Amino acid sequence: MPSLSRRTALRLAAAALLPTSLAACGGGGSGRRQPGETIELTFWNWVPGVDKAVNLWNKQNPEVQIRLSNIPSGPSGGYAKMFAALKAGDPPDLAQVEYYQIPAFLMEQGLEDLTQHGFADHKDKFVDWQWDQGAFGDGVYAVPQASGPMAMYYRADLLEQWNLEPPATWAEFEETAAKIREHDAYICSFPPNDAAMFTSLCWQAGARWFGTSGGEWTVDMDNEPTRKVAEYWQRLIKKDLVLAQPMMANAWYKAVQDGKEVLWVGPQWGDALIKGNAPKTSGKWKVTGMPQWKEGEFASANWGGSSTALFKGGDFPAEALEFAIWLNTDPTAVDLLIEGGYGWPAAAGVFKGSKLDRDDEFFGGRYNDVFAEADKAVDTKWRWTPITLEINENLNAGFQAAFGSGGSFTDVVATAEKQAIAGMKAKGLPVASP
Amino acid sequence: MSIKNRQARSGWGFLAPFLVLFVAFFILPILYAIYQSLFTVKRTGELGLGGQELSFSWFDNYTTALSDTAFVDSLWTVLIFALIQVPVMVLLALTLALLLESASARGVGFFRTAYFLPHGVPGVIASILWGFLYVPGISPLYNLFESVGLSVDFISPDTILLSIVNIVTWEFAGYNVLVLIAQLKAVNPNLFEAARVDGASPWRIIWHIKLPLARPAIVMATVFTIVGSLQLFAEPLVLRPVAASITYTYTPNLAAYNEAFFENNYQLAAAQAVVLAAVAMVLSFGFLRIFGRGDKQ
Repeated sequence: MPSLSRRTALRLAAAALLPTSLAACGGGGSGRRQPGETIELTFWNWVPGVDKAVNLWNKQNPEVQIRLSNIPSGPSGGYAKMFAALKAGDPPDLAQVEYYQIPAFLMEQGLEDLTQHGFADHKDKFVDWQWDQGAFGDGVYAVPQASGPMAMYYRADLLEQWNLEPPATWAEFEETAAKIREHDAYICSFPPNDAAMFTSLCWQAGARWFGTSGGEWTVDMDNEPTRKVAEYWQRLIKKDLVLAQPMMANAWYKAVQDGKEVLWVGPQWGDALIKGNAPKTSGKWKVTGMPQWKEGEFASANWGGSSTALFKGGDFPAEALEFAIWLNTDPTAVDLLIEGGYGWPAAAGVFKGSKLDRDDEFFGGRYNDVFAEADKAVDTKWRWTPITLEINENLNAGFQAAFGSGGSFTDVVATAEKQAIAGMKAKGLPVASP
Repeated sequence: MSIKNRQARSGWGFLAPFLVLFVAFFILPILYAIYQSLFTVKRTGELGLGGQELSFSWFDNYTTALSDTAFVDSLWTVLIFALIQVPVMVLLALTLALLLESASARGVGFFRTAYFLPHGVPGVIASILWGFLYVPGISPLYNLFESVGLSVDFISPDTILLSIVNIVTWEFAGYNVLVLIAQLKAVNPNLFEAARVDGASPWRIIWHIKLPLARPAIVMATVFTIVGSLQLFAEPLVLRPVAASITYTYTPNLAAYNEAFFENNYQLAAAQAVVLAAVAMVLSFGFLRIFGRGDKQ
C-alpha cells in the first residue's frame, strides 16, 4: 500500500508544519475567570461609534477589559483577516460578523455555540428573525446587533421643484425616472459591482434564494420575482434612466452632493452615509416607504445586518458573551451605536425612546418611523448560505459582463444559480437538486 | 587545505543569515503551497457544518483551476497586459535613460530624481491617487479632455487595462531608468570618444555601442517587467470599488487571493498560485534563453 504510507507521511509532514493551528482547532475555550482576576478580551470591529460603547463598558467593568481593534469592513478585507486568524489558530475573542457571513464562519468551524453558555435564555431580548440569522440546527452562533430595513430617501426640494411626487410603485418609479432625466439628473444608480442591493430588491419582490431542508441547502435564484427585478433594472439602464456606476464610492457621493442623483432606495444605515457625505443637502431630504410591485401593499426588504460573534477557542466565552449581550441590548450602548450609524437595532423594543425616536432636521423631521414600519414588513424567512460572498461575486461578474456586452440580466441570474449550486458542491456542502 | 576549509566555513557563515531567511520565507512557503495544492476539503454533518477533513486528491485542484474559465481568462488578461506593458516600459525607460546620458543633457540630477520619485510611492497609494484621476465626476482630466473635444472613459471594460498599464509605468519606469543609467555609466567613455573621432553619428553610437553594452540591464528590466505584470494585484484590487469592469478574478493573483481569503479554499488558491508561478517561470526563463545569451560577452 504505497499510497497509504505516502498519505500518512504527508499528514505527518502537515502536522509538523502546523502544530499550533491543529492544536487550537480542538480546544473549545473552557477557561474560567477567577474572582478578582482581570482579563482582557480582543474585539475586531469596524462600526463607527462602537469605540464609545466599549469605553463605557471598560469603565463599568474594570475586571473584564475589552481591547478594540479597528479592522477594515468585512468585505473589504476584514473577513479575510478573520479567516486568516482562524487558520493560524489565533482569532480574536469577539468580532463583527454580518448576517450573510455567519454560515461561512460556521463552515470553517469558527464560531462558538452560544447556547452552551446560556444564551437561549436571552432570546426574548431580540427581534425573532434576527435571532434566527444566527441559529443553525440546535445552536445559536451570534448575538444579533442590527439590520438594515429599507425605504426610499428622496430630495423633496428637487421633486417639488420639478412638480413630481415620490413614486409609490415601481411602475411610477420608472415614469418618474424618465421625467427626472428631463432635468439633466438621474433618479438613482444601479451598481454593476454590488450584488447586495440587487439581492435586497429581489428580497422585497418576494424571492427566497436560499434555505435549508432536511439537512441540505436549497438554492432558488432563477425564479419569477428575481427575473422581474432583473428585467426591470436592465430596462431602466438600457433607457438611460439610471446611472450604471458603483455606489457608496466617490463618484456616487459627488452625484448625491450635486443633486445629479435625487433618490436612493436604501437601507436605514444609509442615512449616516448621506449625512456624512453630502452635509450641504441638509433639510432637503425626506424618507418614505419602498416603491411597491403591487399597489397598496407594503413590502420592504433588508440590506445588511450585523452581529457580534464569538470565535471558537477564546479563553473566556462567558465574559465575552456577557459583553456582547450588553453591547447590543443596553439602552445606553445602543444609543452610542445609533449615533455612529450602525443600523436598525436588533434588540426588541428599543426603538421607542432611543436616539432613533426623534426629529432630525436633515431628513425633514421624524423619519425613522418609516423604517420602524419597514422593519415589520421585511420577509423574515430569508436565509443566507456559507458561500454568500462567492455568490455575490459571481453575480457581480455576471452583471459586469452583461454591462459590457449587453447580455441579459435574467441570464446572469440563471447562471448565478448554477454557479451557486456548483460552488456549494465544490465546498463539499450537501445541496438539494432544484 | 585548512585555509581552504576555513574560507569555505566563513563563506557559509556570511551566507547563513541570507540562507536562513531565504529558506524560511521563500523556499518553505513554496513547498508548503505545492503540498497544500494536492488536497481537497471534505465536509461532513448536517448542512455540511459538522466538520471538515483534508483528503489527498493528487491534481484535482489543478484540473479545477484550469477548467475554470474565469481563472483561465485571468491568465490571458495578464498575458495581454504583459504584451502591452513590457514594450511600453522598456522603450520608455530606455529612451529616458539615453536622453539623460546623452552628452548634451541638461538638468540631469533633477530629471533623474523626478523620474524616480513615483517609485517611492507604494503601489496601493499610487492606485488610489490615479483612481481619483480616473473616476468620472471627480477627475479634472475629463473636463480637460472634453474641452479639446475628446470623450474618454478611463474605467470602461475596454480601457481599464491601459489605465492600469499607465499606473504601473508611472510607478516603475523611473526605477528601470536608474538601472539602465547605472549600466551605461559603467561603459568606458573612451569608446564613445573613439567612435566620435571615427565620425560616428549619435544614433550610430546608440545603436552600435550603447545598446549592445546596456543589454544585460535591458534584459533584466524586461524580465522584472514580465514577472511584475503576471503578478498584477494591488492596482486592480484598489481600483475595484471604483471601476466596475474589474472582477474578482481579473488577474490570477486576485483570483487566488479571493479563493483563499473569501472563499476559504486555500488548497485551490495554492494550486492557482503554483500555476501562475509556472507560467511566470516559463516566460521569464524562456525570455532569458532567447535574449540573454549575449550576456557573457
